[in-house]
Amino acid sequence: MTPLLAVEGLQVRYGGVTAVSDASLEIGLGEVRVILGANGAGKSTIIKSILGLLKPSAGRILFEDAHDLARMRPHEIHRLGIAWVPEGRQLWNTLTVEENLRMGAFAEARDAEVVRRIDSMYERFPKLRERRRQLAGSLSGGEQQMVAIARALVSNPKLLLMDEPSLGLAPFVVRDLFRLIVELNAAGLTILMVEQNAQQSLAVAYWAYLLETGTVVESALAAELASRETVRDVFLGGHARPRPVSAEK
Amino acid sequence: MEIFVQQILNGLVIGSTYAVVAIGFSLVFIVLRVVNFAHPDIFMLGMFGGLAGITHLGGSIPVALLSGAIAACLAGLVLERAVIRPLHGRDVLTTLLATLGVSIIIQNATALIVGPDPISYVGGLNQRWTAQAFGYLSHGQLFNLAVSLSLVAVASFYVRRTRYGRATRAIAERPDVAAAFGVNVVRVSQVTVALASAMAGVGAVSVSLLYGNAWAFIGAVFGLKAFVAMLVAGNRHFEGVVVVALGLGVLEALVAGYVSSGMRDAVAFLVLIGVLYLRPSGLFGSYAT
Repeated sequence: MTPLLAVEGLQVRYGGVTAVSDASLEIGLGEVRVILGANGAGKSTIIKSILGLLKPSAGRILFEDAHDLARMRPHEIHRLGIAWVPEGRQLWNTLTVEENLRMGAFAEARDAEVVRRIDSMYERFPKLRERRRQLAGSLSGGEQQMVAIARALVSNPKLLLMDEPSLGLAPFVVRDLFRLIVELNAAGLTILMVEQNAQQSLAVAYWAYLLETGTVVESALAAELASRETVRDVFLGGHARPRPVSAEK
Repeated sequence: MEIFVQQILNGLVIGSTYAVVAIGFSLVFIVLRVVNFAHPDIFMLGMFGGLAGITHLGGSIPVALLSGAIAACLAGLVLERAVIRPLHGRDVLTTLLATLGVSIIIQNATALIVGPDPISYVGGLNQRWTAQAFGYLSHGQLFNLAVSLSLVAVASFYVRRTRYGRATRAIAERPDVAAAFGVNVVRVSQVTVALASAMAGVGAVSVSLLYGNAWAFIGAVFGLKAFVAMLVAGNRHFEGVVVVALGLGVLEALVAGYVSSGMRDAVAFLVLIGVLYLRPSGLFGSYAT
């Protein structure tokens, strides 16, 4: 089967600096894959290139084997069914929670459909219904992450890109987050994730890529990568720890 | 006391026109990140569009307002396409200088065609009219106030309640995220410029009817004050810009009435310096750039 998304030989430069020099990866329909890497390895650069926010200097980004995203503009890419949970959430803090969700469904012009989808988000995240009239900037970190995820989901995406979703969240919120990722995936959503939390993300992902200074150096089954000494040394603090999420799966 | 009320009303009348121009400045700035110094001249082109409507198209007020709106709107769209869009991504100073250049060209080209002096015309609304208990307002003043405040209300509804208006605010805060969520930023930019310009056009015709004349260099008179109002209020809250613009009009009228009319134009800048010294992002806050 052809993959939903295939990144081939991606290279991205900022000014004179090469942020990503050679990245190839793919993800099939219904999978969860994770890109692991230290700060500055180029993880976010890959995500932003897929979204069309950065223009690659070389390589192709094929979606559904038909569209080369490297040649498209961000709003066109979004309309193909790609949604984004940005690093640090990046909500519209001056808009209310409901306005954030409405913006998430911007591509859908039929108001009744937008309202229906927002309602279903409120079912999933009842806290957001309570907070709907509040400015997004006034919410707690965990609630903001809910808004960020709901904002991405209201567009009914085929592919969800999550950039460091667990960053800056309290441990119990992180646990809920990964549980939600498993749940969304079980419902059929394809998720490409970038994470520094290797332990939890390897537990929910099927496949993992290791990114080092802009190059994909490893591509392996998540479970296999999790058991490797080198990965443990770099990302898991040098010793194996229990993996709570996998136990709950 | 009577003079006091009268001056306040005079100030609100002129301040409402500042508000119309200031909102246009502000909308264009938050979406396109451009200080559009040609905006006041689009206002002026709208005024002449209205004059053309009066002299060539039969002269009814609705026709004048409409032709002013169309003239300004077209001018704004051409400016966006020909000058602002090609400079997208350059720093604020570059586009500021480019629009300033356009401003000078528009003013002088207009002066070349219609002459450098104000053109008076018949059909203005400057007969006196007594509004009971509210001091004295002429027909023209009342008309201008009503038109300007209606424009403000329309713009407010657009920004607060419509899909594109929401996108306007989303772009103002995070343009990249808005684009990644399906907003065609170029399209919204065009709509924003078209709206800001059309509003300026209608506002210009309305104030022109009040004075019964049109002038190639009128842009500077309203543009500078509107620009000050935007800076003093900050661009984050639309209603803040309106309040400051109205307040500035009133303050100027009071200074002109009680101190001296020579001091009138200094007021705006004294307020600007004072406010920016204490609150650099304006009284009501601005979007981060």
